[in-house]
Amino acid sequence: MPDSKVVILCVDDEPNSLVLRKLVLQKAGYEVVTTNSALGALDVLASRQIDLVLSDQLMPGQTGTELARQIKDRWPSIPVILISGVNEIPPDATIADLFMSKVEGPVMMCQNISDVLVKYRS
Amino acid sequence: MSVNHKVNILMVDDQPAKLLSYDAILTELGENLIKASSGREALEVLLKTDVAVVLMDVSMPEMDGFEMAEIIRQHPRFQKTAIIFISGVHLTDLDKLKGYQRGAVDYISVPVVPEVLRAKVSVFAELHRKRRQLEALNHELEQRVLDRTEELQESETRFRTLANSIPQLAWMADPGGATLWYNQRWYDYTGTTFDDVQGSGWHKLHHPEHVERVVQGLQRSWDTGEAWEDTFPLLGKDGEYRWFLSRAVPVFDSHGKLTRWFGTCTDVSRQMAAEEALRKTERLAAMGRVAGIIAHEINNPLEAITNAFYLLEAHPSLDEEARAYARMASEELARISHITRQSLSFYRESQQAVPVSVARVLDDVLELQGRHFRINGVELDKEYKSSGLILAYPAELKQVFLNLVGNALQAMPTGGRLRVTVRETAERGNLPRGIRISVCDTGTGIRPEDAKRLFEPFFTTKSTKGTGLGLWISKGIVQKYDGTIKFRSVRMNGSSATCFSVFIPGAMAAQSAGLTTLSGAS
Repeated sequence: MPDSKVVILCVDDEPNSLVLRKLVLQKAGYEVVTTNSALGALDVLASRQIDLVLSDQLMPGQTGTELARQIKDRWPSIPVILISGVNEIPPDATIADLFMSKVEGPVMMCQNISDVLVKYRS
Repeated sequence: MSVNHKVNILMVDDQPAKLLSYDAILTELGENLIKASSGREALEVLLKTDVAVVLMDVSMPEMDGFEMAEIIRQHPRFQKTAIIFISGVHLTDLDKLKGYQRGAVDYISVPVVPEVLRAKVSVFAELHRKRRQLEALNHELEQRVLDRTEELQESETRFRTLANSIPQLAWMADPGGATLWYNQRWYDYTGTTFDDVQGSGWHKLHHPEHVERVVQGLQRSWDTGEAWEDTFPLLGKDGEYRWFLSRAVPVFDSHGKLTRWFGTCTDVSRQMAAEEALRKTERLAAMGRVAGIIAHEINNPLEAITNAFYLLEAHPSLDEEARAYARMASEELARISHITRQSLSFYRESQQAVPVSVARVLDDVLELQGRHFRINGVELDKEYKSSGLILAYPAELKQVFLNLVGNALQAMPTGGRLRVTVRETAERGNLPRGIRISVCDTGTGIRPEDAKRLFEPFFTTKSTKGTGLGLWISKGIVQKYDGTIKFRSVRMNGSSATCFSVFIPGAMAAQSAGLTTLSGAS
């Protein structure tokens, strides 16, 4: 069971995807904050403590990698995981700590999050 | 000979005074005047020089004019030399006739009237000059004909050399389309003789599906005189058809009359094959893009549904039965995810290529499949001549080998032998240095009719068990490394062997990674 104080910011423009992902994460014991755009994410990050950002890649406005770059500039200690349905990995995907496919499933998603968190703690 | 060229006039008389008077009369003609005092002297002159007119006294001692004329005439060179007799005595018509028979052309009586002598000599001098000119012209013409003939022969030789050295098949036909000539290459390619292909004999070299169109097209050109072009298969002596781009152009003479047809056939089989391959590649690439787009569009809702069932499955309100349904749904969703992940195959787990040992990846795959080796009763034969170190994405290589090994195992449901080899190949010709991996099985083999479609997407021989994407994706991955994947399947005496060979260029410096020759283990 992960630390119950871990707060994940979940970013996706599709409401159903966002809600269901939030529920999966909550079930895994995380506290989850959601927003539907990169701009919204930056607002949340500026206003409260976030331990990890899990963002969709393709969104109207800024993409996941663009959001990741800004987060790494301003809050370098916050890990960012991009989750995507796209075929090609964008060339700047390395800016994120992990780039994963949406169809890897809920178990793998939680595993990836916990792996990244462990890496950041150590 | 020029128009103004002087001609020689020979004056023969035994009396020097007469010679002097002739000289005086004829000087103003501006010709060369030569004097001779006897028939003998005159003959000497004649032998040495080209004389236009001989002016000769009939009565001379030693040899009279008639005698001398006869001697002159006997010489072939002088048969046409004009001889004018001067006679001091009256000559009878009979005498004159005798003179004419001996070659005289004219007579002048004494006393000589200067104007008459001048006029007569002048006429013959002019005649001689004209004849010489004509001869020269004739000679020149003959020389030109000779030169032209040589030129033609040379041109003919050049044409034949050229026609036989060009890579095209070439032919010529008369205006009505009857073939007159083929170049050597035509005979070499078709293995025919001129007699074989005369008349409509050439029809049999054409493909049954094309011959009618070709014959009609040519007939239209014979009728209209317009150039012809077509592309069609032509039968070679090896019994194989190759594609030729053929053209026929009319050849006209200087009056604009169509004299013959000149035709060529250029072998375009390789271009056509390359174009076909390109079209296929483009089709596959387009299909890949479509598959990618569809996969992406499916992935988003797929994730949501998968998450929904994941949550549902564990929901406390569900009884066992409902939970089982949710679990079944989850399993089926996992299958869909698997397919879309396969078509999203270029997904990389590591974001940079790393040094990978092909042998090690293969070992991982073989270990993963260990259970199937035991269930199917398949023996494994490994021969690693190299660790096969390359820069690559391990997950991609794993996907390729998992596919090849998995296919091989499925082809041997009742046992067999799987042979896996890795070796490093040196640079050879335009093939760079690299790693060659082969996976060979003694399974059911590949049917020849399936061979062509093996790498096409959604082509499968495993009915519902296969996605039909495995080899297509494997090929895509291998090609990304500029590599090649090919196979051979042979059937003999009821048993068959199938071998897939993957070549990946750019082997890294071999390291003694302890991966030398391993064999036997299963």
